[in-house]
Amino acid sequence: MLNIVVCLKQVPMVSELPWDPATGTLRRELAEGMMNPACRAALEAALRIREAQGGEITAITMGPKMAEEVLREAIALGADRGVLLNDRKMAGADTSVTSFTLARAIEKTCPEFDLVLCGFATSDSETAQVGPQLAEELDIPGVGYVDQIAVSGRTVRMQRLSDNFLETLEMDLPGLITVMTGAYIPRHVPMGGLQAAFDIADIVTLDAASLDLDPERIGVKGSATKILSVTSPLAGKKNVVLTGTPKRIVEQLFERFDDKIGGAIGKDLKADKKKRS
Amino acid sequence: MSVKKRAIWVFGDYRNYFQNRATLQLLSRAMTLAKAIDAEVCAVVIGHEVGEYVMEYTAHGADKIYLTDHPSLKNYSMETYTVLMERLARREKPEIILIGATTFGREFASRVAKRLGTGLSADCIGLDINGEGLLVQMAPSFGGNLVAQIVTPERRPQMATVRPGTFAEIPHDYDRKSEVVQAPLPEDLPGDRVRLIESERCPQRGRKIEEAKVVVCGGRGMGSKKKFAKLFELAELLNGEVGATRPVVYADWADHDALVGQAGKHIKPQILFSFGISGAIQHTAACNDAKFIIAVNKNPNAAMMKKADVAIVADASQLCTALIQELKRCIR
Amino acid sequence: MVRKAVRMFAETELGPIARDIDRDARFPWEVVEKMRPLHFFGLQAPKAFGGAEMDSISYAITIEEISRVSAAVGLCLTVHNSVGIYPIERFGTEEQKRRFLPSMTRGERIGAFCLTEANAGSDAGGVETIAVRDGNDYIINGTKIFVTNGGICGTSLIFAITDPQNPQRSAGVFIVDKDTPGFAVGEIEDLCGMRANPVSSLFLEDCRVPETNLLCRPGDGLKIGLVTLDTGRLGIAAQALGLAQAAFEDAVRYSKERQQFRKPISSFQTIQNYLADMATEISAARLLLYRACAVKDSGGLFSAEAAMAKLFCSATATRVTNLAVQIHGGYGYSKEYDVERYFRDAKVTEIYEGTSEVQRMVIARDVLAQRT
Repeated sequence: MLNIVVCLKQVPMVSELPWDPATGTLRRELAEGMMNPACRAALEAALRIREAQGGEITAITMGPKMAEEVLREAIALGADRGVLLNDRKMAGADTSVTSFTLARAIEKTCPEFDLVLCGFATSDSETAQVGPQLAEELDIPGVGYVDQIAVSGRTVRMQRLSDNFLETLEMDLPGLITVMTGAYIPRHVPMGGLQAAFDIADIVTLDAASLDLDPERIGVKGSATKILSVTSPLAGKKNVVLTGTPKRIVEQLFERFDDKIGGAIGKDLKADKKKRS
Repeated sequence: MSVKKRAIWVFGDYRNYFQNRATLQLLSRAMTLAKAIDAEVCAVVIGHEVGEYVMEYTAHGADKIYLTDHPSLKNYSMETYTVLMERLARREKPEIILIGATTFGREFASRVAKRLGTGLSADCIGLDINGEGLLVQMAPSFGGNLVAQIVTPERRPQMATVRPGTFAEIPHDYDRKSEVVQAPLPEDLPGDRVRLIESERCPQRGRKIEEAKVVVCGGRGMGSKKKFAKLFELAELLNGEVGATRPVVYADWADHDALVGQAGKHIKPQILFSFGISGAIQHTAACNDAKFIIAVNKNPNAAMMKKADVAIVADASQLCTALIQELKRCIR
Repeated sequence: MVRKAVRMFAETELGPIARDIDRDARFPWEVVEKMRPLHFFGLQAPKAFGGAEMDSISYAITIEEISRVSAAVGLCLTVHNSVGIYPIERFGTEEQKRRFLPSMTRGERIGAFCLTEANAGSDAGGVETIAVRDGNDYIINGTKIFVTNGGICGTSLIFAITDPQNPQRSAGVFIVDKDTPGFAVGEIEDLCGMRANPVSSLFLEDCRVPETNLLCRPGDGLKIGLVTLDTGRLGIAAQALGLAQAAFEDAVRYSKERQQFRKPISSFQTIQNYLADMATEISAARLLLYRACAVKDSGGLFSAEAAMAKLFCSATATRVTNLAVQIHGGYGYSKEYDVERYFRDAKVTEIYEGTSEVQRMVIARDVLAQRT
């Protein structure tokens, strides 16, 4: 029987970023939200561990009110309860502050936890920092980028690929693991769980005060890093357009770029230029 | 009594030394940054029998090396290294710590930054010193579609992990000298709560596409499994690897190993040929590190075409055939 | 949330193969395998029998989102749920529910509703399939045509008359399992659209079924049929809506990308007018559908509302898909793009489960019956 906590994040679901070139900002509110793919893998890992060992799963997320949706989705997939950390003062937190806030919430809502699972990184900020920092904050052993998890009693054996090294590691619970996407193929939300997730889901919302958090230590106030500006490097990119018959296009391509292509593939394409013309 | 010079530290991530040049690249950049704030460049090396790396780092820009050499440190160990780095930093108070954004480096840096109560930017693709003498960290997000300029105004040290390949290493100069400062293993080091059971060097199995200099990616625009198969021939001629989008893998035109995307492989080729791919963000996010993109699509306004350096408006399959023919002619 | 969950499933599992299964007229069993544990085959069925007990609006959203990616699969689901499972759930005895529903909600037995015959389309009274009493059984003879899910059905509901002298008042609905001797599936039809759905004929030759397979009593067939069709119409409306939505999204995306005269075609007023009309019609169609769903769930009579929803949603699907092809220009006519499949799929929504003409009959009857 294991008490598992899964940390989730709601990220924008976008095939095109709602980037406003006029103000140079990301209009996050225009994008629909979805559960971060790596978090989905972490939840799937939790569900499978629970299927094998028994126990309870608490899903936790820090975000605006709409982030509650990922908790409901987690419950529809099989989590037992959800915790939403929602407070304007928490906004703008960097990874260190986020891990601080999550840690205090876990200590308050799940003090007897055995295992904390997180996605290895988010598809928006992509820092991969919150997981390890959360382990530090909770003062528990932690391993990142894990592909395989095997729980046996109070010991967990994990496998991961770290910079060309395939490592097998072990730690005793309580501990934290960050899970790779592609590691645990997530199951789909069953239609039967959806109604319950909406009607009777056990979701608790906590603000900074209920967690006794010092406002100076959270959100943008507590963050050591500050964002000066954000740019979109791909906006306004000029490119070369080639049209015509396939034969003619390939000729143009080689005429203009034989150096580049030849360099990359390690062959000399120029040698034939004389033959062609 | 002289005021101690400010220091920029670079963590010596020497695992995989020949492929992993991150530390050398960072030392080079550190030299440039150090000039701007009148600092010295130090490398931090933790391990066992690591003398050759001390030499290499000196030759590539380090003025000083902090060295902790002990048999128990033969393999990288996250918790131990974290504690050692933390204690060293608290004692010596560096201005900046730079760590290569390898898998180890990113996790290691997160923990060190947390313990030191300072900020950390991830996977930076640029570093500068601004007018106020602060380290400006250029950190990408949303698959590289956005880049943020970040500073750590108050807390110290200023920390960043840096994407390998962002900076170029300086040519080695074995005449350079450095001061080696021994940092002996403390007696009261807590044991590592994570035990390494086995570590096997991965024989690049399935990593070919991630390391490939040339990648040929195909999408639904190729039309059929048979037509898609031509890409393998093209890749062979280009000394490259074949990648695929999710719908293609799903339709069984290519193996799951070839999947290039957020749920698959990330590629960083010098040239990416993108055939018949519209450019869903799940795919393009994994292609952002490509240096030069040649996209082929019937639709001139597909996202991938806008992203490409060369946008070819043509039927993907037909162009693939024409390219194969021309390459065969050129390369006898 | 229902919408997101179903959309994610549909785009992940059906998206990559939607075009292929249409071209090859292949029913995607592999996706069905994935759908079964997710309760797609028991969306509104009671939990006691393995269903998800969804309310009608959530159900409509589910069918819409599946149909948005593959209308043929959406058709399979709505026929199975609305006119396969629903009549048994609504009119069956506890024993019948226990016997038939669990395997249906698990997706092991797919449902089909068999009314149409060569001489009985809109004129349901023209049914010639006969069920003759023989001891404790009935022997059924007849041929049903254009049976949706025919090629894959496990549990079929056969509409047959028990007294040829009195067809209207003697019709009954018989539940027939595919393995019953005398029950045979005919050739799969080669249709213009919905090609991944195996529509076929069903042949009943001296097919013997126990009387315990009859829903209610002989003579109740008409009532069961009418009520069932009302429910079925909501599902078809949702299916049509999904088609319209898909075509609309593609048209908007294409009009922003396609440039002519050095501008995206979305900057031309004609295209903008088309898009505005499409958006408005889809909105209106959706509201009509949801209203009908709400009336049904509140227990009220919803025949007219369901007919209006089906009539309007299917007309919207035909109009919107037609415009979507037009907006795509030549490319819209090519199988490289999905809009031509939406266009082909949409047409039949105005025909099956009650043609638009029949829907108008239902609505007019309701209008004229009301005291003004």
